[in-house]
Amino acid sequence: MRPYLRDGPMVPALPADAASLLRPYLQTSGRVEAADDELEIEAQVVTSAYGLNSFGRLAFEHRDIVALCATTMSVAEVAARLALHIGVAKVLVADLAALGCLVVERPDPEPADDLDMIERVIRGLEGIR
Amino acid sequence: MGSKASAEPARRPPRPVKIVIAGGFGVGKTTTVGAISEIRPLTTEAAMTSVAAAMDDAADVPAKTRTTVALDFGCITIDETLKLYLFGTPGQDRFDFMWHDISRGALGALVIVDARRVDACYPAVDYFERIGLPFVVGVNLFNGHLDVDLTELRWALAVGDEVPLITFDAREKLSVRDALLAVLRRTRERARARAAEHATG
Repeated sequence: MRPYLRDGPMVPALPADAASLLRPYLQTSGRVEAADDELEIEAQVVTSAYGLNSFGRLAFEHRDIVALCATTMSVAEVAARLALHIGVAKVLVADLAALGCLVVERPDPEPADDLDMIERVIRGLEGIR
Repeated sequence: MGSKASAEPARRPPRPVKIVIAGGFGVGKTTTVGAISEIRPLTTEAAMTSVAAAMDDAADVPAKTRTTVALDFGCITIDETLKLYLFGTPGQDRFDFMWHDISRGALGALVIVDARRVDACYPAVDYFERIGLPFVVGVNLFNGHLDVDLTELRWALAVGDEVPLITFDAREKLSVRDALLAVLRRTRERARARAAEHATG
C-alpha cells in the first residue's frame, strides 16, 4: 500500500525549488498572472485580420506568434513550436489577445460536470477506428 | 478582446477539452499520446531548457532538469467545434506544481502504471485524489501480458472501488482509445452522481 497512507492521509508538499522556475518571466517584464486567471495551456488561439494587418507595428517577440497562429492552435503548441517557456507563451498570447491581434477560445471552467460535453467526447472517440 | 469588429476571425476556433496522461518516468506517457494523437506529440522540454539556460546567471542548469520538465501533448479533433488535448505530465513529484496548470479544467486523468514499478505512480494518484479529478489507473502491458494481479495492484494503490483499474497497450491506437473512453465513462459516472445529488439535495 502507498506506505504513507498507513499513518493517515498526507499531502505531498510543494517543492522548495518551485520559485526558480519563475525566472523565465523576465521575458515578460516580470509579470506573472495569478494562477487561476491565467490562460489555459489548451486555450485555442488564432490570428485575427487586425493582427495580420498590424504585423509590421508589433514588437519582435509578438510577430512570431501572430505569424504562427494563422493556423489555429493551442497555447501549448505556440510554446512548443516557438521554443518558449509555457508561462511566457501564456503572457505573450494574452497581451496579443488584449490588443485584438489574436482571438482566443478558452475552455469551459468545469467540463468534468458537463454531461453533454462528456457525451460528445465519448461519441467522438468511439468513432476512431 | 472581442469588442473590436476588426478582430473577428474568419472562423471561430474549436472549444478545447483535455485529458491528463500521468504516471512515473518511462511508463509510456509519450507513447500513449503518440499512438492516438493526430499531430506528432510536441514537447516543451527543449524550450524550458533554452530559456532557463539563457536566463540563469550561472548558465549551468543541470542536465537532469532538462529531462524532467518535459510536457508532452497531442490532440484529437472530435468535431469541427470540439478538440480533445492529451497532456502528459512530468512524472517526478518535485514537479508537482506544474500539475495544477495541466489538470485545471481537465475532464479526467489516465494514470499509467508499469506493473514492475507500481510506486512510480503514487504522486499522480495522490494528486488527483487531492484535487478531486476523476481518474482511471491503466496498467501498460509492455510485453502483451500482465505481470501483476489486479486485486493486489488495487490494494497496493489503495484506491477506492469507484476508480477503474484497466490494462492497455500504449503502442496500440485502439487500446489507447479504449483507455481514454474508460476515463470519460468514469467522469460521466461522477457527473451523473453529482447531478443526482444536486437534484435531491
